[in-house]
Amino acid sequence: MKSLLKHLSPFAPDQSGAVSALFEFGGLIAICDAGGCTGNICGFDEPRWFTRRSAIFSAGLRDMDAILGRDDKLVAKLQAAMDGSGLAFSAIIGTPVPAIIATDFKALKRMAEKRTGLPAITVATTGTRHYDVGASDAWLELFKTFAIEKLPIESGTVGVLGASPLDFPTLDAGNLLSAALRNDGWKTVNSYGMGAGLDAVKMASAAEKNIVVSPAGLAAAKYLQKTFGTPFEVRCPWLPPQLLDALPPLAGKKTLIIHQQFAANAIRDAVLKLDATSQVTVASWFMMEPEFMRENDFRIESEEAFIEAILNGNYDAIVCDSRLRAALPRTQSFNIIDFPHFAVSGRLLDEVQ
Amino acid sequence: MNQAYSITAAELAARGRDDIPSELLSSAHLIYSSPATLAFNSPGAQGFGVKRAGLAVPGSVMLLVAPACCGRNTAALGCEASLAERFFYLMQDDTDIVTGRHLARIPEAVKEVCDSCAKRPSAVMICITCVDALLGTDMERVCRKASDYAGVPVVPCYMYALTREGRLPPMVSVRRSVYSLLQPCEKVPTSVNILGFFSPLRDDTELYTLLKSAGIRTIREISRCATFEEYQAMAEANFNLVLHQEARHAAADLQKRLGIPSIELARLYQTDKIANQYRLLGQAVGAEFDDAPYRERAEKAIADFRTRFGTRMFAVGEWLNADPFELSLSLIRNGFNVSEIFGTVGGSNFVYVKKIAALSPDTKIYSNLSPTMMSYDGRDAACDTVIGRDAMYYHPTLPGVPWNEERQPFGHAGVAALFAALGNALSGKETPR
Repeated sequence: MKSLLKHLSPFAPDQSGAVSALFEFGGLIAICDAGGCTGNICGFDEPRWFTRRSAIFSAGLRDMDAILGRDDKLVAKLQAAMDGSGLAFSAIIGTPVPAIIATDFKALKRMAEKRTGLPAITVATTGTRHYDVGASDAWLELFKTFAIEKLPIESGTVGVLGASPLDFPTLDAGNLLSAALRNDGWKTVNSYGMGAGLDAVKMASAAEKNIVVSPAGLAAAKYLQKTFGTPFEVRCPWLPPQLLDALPPLAGKKTLIIHQQFAANAIRDAVLKLDATSQVTVASWFMMEPEFMRENDFRIESEEAFIEAILNGNYDAIVCDSRLRAALPRTQSFNIIDFPHFAVSGRLLDEVQ
Repeated sequence: MNQAYSITAAELAARGRDDIPSELLSSAHLIYSSPATLAFNSPGAQGFGVKRAGLAVPGSVMLLVAPACCGRNTAALGCEASLAERFFYLMQDDTDIVTGRHLARIPEAVKEVCDSCAKRPSAVMICITCVDALLGTDMERVCRKASDYAGVPVVPCYMYALTREGRLPPMVSVRRSVYSLLQPCEKVPTSVNILGFFSPLRDDTELYTLLKSAGIRTIREISRCATFEEYQAMAEANFNLVLHQEARHAAADLQKRLGIPSIELARLYQTDKIANQYRLLGQAVGAEFDDAPYRERAEKAIADFRTRFGTRMFAVGEWLNADPFELSLSLIRNGFNVSEIFGTVGGSNFVYVKKIAALSPDTKIYSNLSPTMMSYDGRDAACDTVIGRDAMYYHPTLPGVPWNEERQPFGHAGVAALFAALGNALSGKETPR
């Protein structure tokens, strides 16, 4: 059955992706749930939550709130929490409950802005989709809300779009991506959401170029290109050194890489650089942007499809989060090179080492 | 919101239980999410929530029927391989959550899950969430259909977070679910069940010895049942001892279905109240319990601690195996000081607030869930020792104990164990964080 998981547990959902994108921007994040979704997001999908105090709140919905659609009560609670807090904006993140009762998030945004006098962002996540969908929507809303002024281009300034711990399994990803880009000659690197805050977002139109490091950042990059003419490039300037060290044996072999598409593409490039005759396929459980796919690349639609792809693929090696091994027959051996994907397993590189 | 809201015990007691300030009522504001509140703001995020509790039935597996978001943290719960292998997920998509079409797939999914298990499960627990609460799903009917189709008992577990403050909150409901497979059988007068927790009482709990002294030969707890047969034998009990109020509904159901009456005991830290409770239990079962040696041991542990460490100033949290207000009252009555309590005031524990107010009027009461707790600054607090995992979060540099271990403390032994743990923490032998 396509929707049945017998070996794996569910991956990070869209609401976690939305919170991850907005986490570092100094806003009040209200998750429109009864409490459980917030616990999942904070306790499992947002490793930064354990390291610093953050303004993440549950709406604390109860059955009658959902049945009666008491948006006014939610907005009143939001205002009370915002009052005197010094927070820059509010964000309301959807979950299955508002999805079922068809909450009008546009109306919520207007109500929240009117009541608090500050910008509000709403992301109509449903809890049924993957993290990258929610992150993509949140990035887009963030830039639409705050990157509104066309500024002169600052030479040597580059923006990084799509970085989050869900995509890069280290809390230091922002610094590592920035360092790699500075090595490439960029003077100022704004890694949005992992290092660069709201002021940088407001100045986004001044960037000479944007680098998109995961599919979640692509919609925002396209928006910035359309609105301000900022060009973008899809590439992943940093990969874990231990992973790169493990790649030479894959030269000339048949390899499957499973991760977020742009990181996986970067690994493929590294393998092909070692030996251009290598057969490398990229797959992902998450977004696969057609314009960045090559022949034979595929999206994994289900646990069943994953197992079938591995068993029928005759791969010499599989680069993926090693937790995916749980779905494969125990009686067979597989050459798996571990590349943790937090959205899959909730593991960071630091925990693996 | 630049200062954490608190109220003194005296002020709160003066207002009365019908005038609790809105800052202490979680329904009146957004709920702040911090590591201090993870376990109880989101039941199931850590410890025993519905998902893990539902697997208390030996040999059972769980099929979570929900959007992916509801099953996400189960990966953390299932770090233990034995648990991970018992969780399965039927994921709902956007159309499912609006139309309820997923219900038609459940019987087939149950069968597929059973067929994939190396050993046939004793039961399949179906965990459903807010989605089906709003859809008004008749899950009893769906489970009967799935049971007929797959040939295995199928039991619903309602993880309806939306109903947390309703008549049947999820953790009350799941306790009924896990005992629902017990079938009527002949009663054994010397058998007793302990209901309330999903992990066993500490082995040194005097309750076991006291019950044996009254002629009870078999004491069963669901968490100590290794097999489904052992679990089924719980149906023979002469009476149930309910140690957690969330098990009342399950006990009432067992009385109705199997004719097993129940007696409720509270987990207390005041030794005189514990002794009184044993006296009343003895009267109810027609026995006389001699708890004096255990009480003496507990009181000696308190006295020894006081001698060694003086009258400490405590901060008491609510993420722990105690009612924070009852525990605070116990500390105060034993000559200690309590400067702060992080707790949820309600009808059942307001009586302790009043008693604390009389003895320690300046004790400050905070609500963990208040948005203002984002601004809590513990540097000015007067406390020097903390109890509770949440209190430890607020005071990371102070010695203390989380006191939220899975093995459940109870009775005089629980009091002695608490002070032993505090003694270890203060002497630097153990500072668990």
